[in-house]
Amino acid sequence: MIHFDNVTKVYANQNRPALDHVSVDVDKGEFVFLVGPSGSGKSTFLRLVLKEERPNSGAIHVAGKDLARLSNFKVPHLRRRIGCVFQDFRLLPNKNVYENVAFALEVIGKPRRFIRKVVPEVVELVGLEGKAHRMPDELSGGEQQRVAMARAFVNRPMILLADEPTGNIDPATSIGIMKVLDRINRTGTTVVMATHDAAIVDSMRKRVVELEDGKIVRDQSRGVYGQAY
Amino acid sequence: MRANFIFSEVWIGLRRNLTMTIAVIVTVAIGMALLGIGLMINSQISGMKDYWADKVEVSVFLCKKNDPFPQCKGTGGVNEQEQAALRATIEAMPQVQQVEFEDAASAYENFKVQNANNTVLLSAIQVEDMPESFRVKLKDPNAYAAVIEELKGAPGVSNVINQKEILEKFFGLLEKLRWFALMIAGFLVIAATLLIGNTVRLSAYNRRRETGIMRLVGASNLYIQLPFVMEGVIAGLIGGVVAAVLLIVTKVFLFDGVQIYLANNSQLSWETVASVISLTMVVGVLICVLASFVTLRRYLRV
Repeated sequence: MIHFDNVTKVYANQNRPALDHVSVDVDKGEFVFLVGPSGSGKSTFLRLVLKEERPNSGAIHVAGKDLARLSNFKVPHLRRRIGCVFQDFRLLPNKNVYENVAFALEVIGKPRRFIRKVVPEVVELVGLEGKAHRMPDELSGGEQQRVAMARAFVNRPMILLADEPTGNIDPATSIGIMKVLDRINRTGTTVVMATHDAAIVDSMRKRVVELEDGKIVRDQSRGVYGQAY
Repeated sequence: MRANFIFSEVWIGLRRNLTMTIAVIVTVAIGMALLGIGLMINSQISGMKDYWADKVEVSVFLCKKNDPFPQCKGTGGVNEQEQAALRATIEAMPQVQQVEFEDAASAYENFKVQNANNTVLLSAIQVEDMPESFRVKLKDPNAYAAVIEELKGAPGVSNVINQKEILEKFFGLLEKLRWFALMIAGFLVIAATLLIGNTVRLSAYNRRRETGIMRLVGASNLYIQLPFVMEGVIAGLIGGVVAAVLLIVTKVFLFDGVQIYLANNSQLSWETVASVISLTMVVGVLICVLASFVTLRRYLRV
């Protein structure tokens, strides 16, 4: 589903590569934790998958597509198959829960009938039933992240990328977030989650890919956060 | 494509940037109105040139009794022989197409028609005050120099006036006006372009959250950019409508007003006004679209 072959990414004005000859395979339906300290290249990895950045060398395949050969014109179609969740939720403050989720479908031109049908389903899936008409500032951090996950998942993407989704949330609430991610994963969606949160990684017992200074230092199925060496 | 979604976005954008939108509308309106006026003057000039082309004459005025012109002093007016000789000279010229004699009575009739509303002037001037003249029509209105040269010193001639020269002064003034209008229109087009650029930039900044999410969930470039471009288009269209009103007002009160004094029938037609208006509208909207797109490429990475 995601295939990195010897990928190197150096940002302009930086001499140290953000990713250094990284090769990794993520299969369909997998759940992968991407761990490592700040600046180790986790976010760069996710940005490369979305084709927000281009690698300096190496090949990237996502959902069967060679990103180097994907024209800019088709990038939006790639992104429709990838859902994204961030540490800072990125909700629209002037839209309620329902509208925030529906927005993701409206802007890709889905018919209103379809939106009316699927949005409530997804809102329920993330555990926000009955809160569809709340505004984001009336929700807790955990609830806001659930809205963000609903928005990321509403178009049934093949891949869900989560960049430190529990970074702004207390540990108790994080468990709920992880349950939702797990539920999404069980529908067959590939989930890649970048995180610092050792407790969560340890509790989930999923595949762990550890990055350090842009290199993969560990790739372990059913791994834990920090005992590789 | 969901039209109502796009339009609600456009409406929100226009409302948030109301002051900038108004600035764009005013600039586009004035710029396009001036462009249109320039074009209207243009077609007016060519219309009037066509009208006058076969009407310009060289007027050869003859001396009358007590004529103040120096070459007539002491002659007691033109006599029969001089008049006949002049006629023969003029008719013999190869450039001349036609000669007509206008006596004092018919000159006075023409004068009365031309100054019908100036009663003071009419009451002051009598038939005897009007000079007799030969009206000379040339084959080629531009070949007047030699004719005038030859007739100016001839006995019995008080003065030779070439209508073409007078008309050309007037056309020259109109042409200056046209260039002036077009030049200011050019400056305003530049101002409008910059203003639209700024408006779109503000709009893009105001909605960076929305556009960020749109990019993320895979909205197409067109879908992301269209609301911004539509903002420009709508501002441009409103500006164009205001410009159209200004142009119609200009036609009715300025161009038609001037026509009354020029007393000719080369009136600016409504068809011309309509085509000028549609042209300025298209130009206005095009400027807005282009300015929006160029700015979006810089400030809204997709």
